[in-house]
Amino acid sequence: MTSFALTPSLRMTYASPIEVELTRLSEALGHCPDLVARYPMRWLAIQLLEGDTLLQAEVERLGGSVASEALAASRMRLETHYGEDLDVAMVDQRYRFVHDLAAQALTRPKTPSLTMSDRVDRIVTNRWLGIPIFLGLMWVVFKLTTDVAAPFVDWIDAVLTGPVSHWITSLLSITGLSGGWLESLLIDGVIAGVGGVLVFIPVLFSLYFALAILEDSGYMARSAFVMDRLMHRLGLHGKSFLPMVVGFGCSVPAIYATRTLENERDRILTGLLVPFMSCSARLPVYVLVAAIFFPTMAGLVIFGLYLTGILVAIGLGMLLKRTLFGNELPTPFVIELPPYRLPTLRNIWHQMWERTSAFLQHAWTIILGTSMVVWLLLALPVSGEGSFADTDVDQSAFAAVSGVMTPVFAPLGFGSWETSGALLTGFVAKEVVVSTMIQVYNVPGAEEEEVGATTIGEDLLAIGGGFLSATGDALKALPSIIGINLAAEEDEQAPDGLTGAIRQGFDASSGGHGALAALAFLVFVLLYTPCMVAVAAARQEFGSRWMWVSIIGQFVIAWLAALIVFQGGRFFL
Amino acid sequence: MLQKVLQALEETQGPVSLDELSRQLELDVGVLEGMIDFWVRKGKLKDSRLAACAGGCGNCNPGAQGCTFDRGRPRSITLT
Repeated sequence: MTSFALTPSLRMTYASPIEVELTRLSEALGHCPDLVARYPMRWLAIQLLEGDTLLQAEVERLGGSVASEALAASRMRLETHYGEDLDVAMVDQRYRFVHDLAAQALTRPKTPSLTMSDRVDRIVTNRWLGIPIFLGLMWVVFKLTTDVAAPFVDWIDAVLTGPVSHWITSLLSITGLSGGWLESLLIDGVIAGVGGVLVFIPVLFSLYFALAILEDSGYMARSAFVMDRLMHRLGLHGKSFLPMVVGFGCSVPAIYATRTLENERDRILTGLLVPFMSCSARLPVYVLVAAIFFPTMAGLVIFGLYLTGILVAIGLGMLLKRTLFGNELPTPFVIELPPYRLPTLRNIWHQMWERTSAFLQHAWTIILGTSMVVWLLLALPVSGEGSFADTDVDQSAFAAVSGVMTPVFAPLGFGSWETSGALLTGFVAKEVVVSTMIQVYNVPGAEEEEVGATTIGEDLLAIGGGFLSATGDALKALPSIIGINLAAEEDEQAPDGLTGAIRQGFDASSGGHGALAALAFLVFVLLYTPCMVAVAAARQEFGSRWMWVSIIGQFVIAWLAALIVFQGGRFFL
Repeated sequence: MLQKVLQALEETQGPVSLDELSRQLELDVGVLEGMIDFWVRKGKLKDSRLAACAGGCGNCNPGAQGCTFDRGRPRSITLT
């Protein structure tokens, strides 16, 4: 039988010292039938000389000491030519061979044609246009998360405070449990606490939608590239912005992402700066407070907060780099810019769902637990004549505990036990600031609108109708991203129970400068001590000392920044 | 050729994209990627993809593909 074998017309040959040893080693290995039966001898010799440890163990096992000694001798002789870098020399020679071959076989245009991605990158990563484009896109993201998501926030709020609360009350009434502490726990604890945070799911959903589009299209890598270049020019480690990009979603993976920095000092410095990037958990706080105090420019306020976070991180980074962390030159690096592509619905949905479900999981564990603890402390009277679950919140254990911190926040304009308590619980998770505010400012009977008895069918119809109406309003709000207002101007509405209570609370604690105090409060929330999970991550990555620097340092910076906003604002207004 | 990759990185001022580096070295991006992978294996370069979030993150729900927030981080390669 005749067999045909395809043999290459061009054979790769290494430099002569290597070729000599390859021949010697192949011959030595060829004496071992087990190896001959399993491997081509030249290939095996190449792998062994390049230091493949798995194959080396296999050769020792099957070929015995003769094969091992032959390998050691060949390596020793080659080390006189190539030192420790024999594998580098061999791989390099292969690359050269392929490169030369390709150069002979391929005709390339002298000037490579520009791809679509190259053309877009000329604008998007342009030295002068890159940052304005980045800021413009951030603006669109925050308009989306405020104006477009707002109708759905109102819809969920109406569903939770209306039909859902109604169903729970009715159910308790049927089972004879209404009017007691259980009803208070479910309505004032679970619905007000967890529900108060769940209301903001549309906000997070739209944020994750925008982030998914930016990531899937390939823009996110460009934004990091543009910001890196800026940071590099400011003397900071440009690569620090890569973990910071992750920080817009969550500080915890961002802290772990600092592992990509090779220098310990850069890692710690970046770890200290990452929490200043506003994580998505803080967004519900911004939306709640900005909607109450700055209803016509909530998007601008939130955009300003995100920008403030970036500027504080850069400013603090420059300060620390020139003081505590030495002024070493940043290490250059390569960043992969994937080609631009049209985001797919499947990918976007997958990312939105994955991130939102992570938030939901959080809501049913940490937020639920904290809300119940807050409810318990609010239900416990420590003064006055109230009884358990039937006491004035001012006389509750929560008010007494939170009141201890009130003098600290008094110069910032929000020195009330309500805000102090919300900020304290915010250490557990930033979303909890919202749930606690809703619980402590809860005005009994104000949230639940007095409606006539409705059937479940009527409630479901109202919920469906509300959703359609919210969808219509969200579509009308879309053009507002580019400054076109299609929504009819609404008359100034009287604030509802919660809104009014929060306004009154800030007005009272700030001597009538409620909006200014609210702005200082938002700045404080942006900058203050990260949540306990992020703190634990910082401890794991950088040690206890730096964890405390982060906790105390961020608190002090947030306090000073809020002081400047409030007292400075009072001075000028 | 391999040394040129390290040398180019050492001489670069600030971050450089993979495409830019490949044009600078007159190499295909695929070839450059292979060379980078070699240096990563040798420990001369560090690839951010190999340093993923491994913490007990209470705030996220790491799926089969790792942390959902971490996946948004662009890949970067640095000299060690």
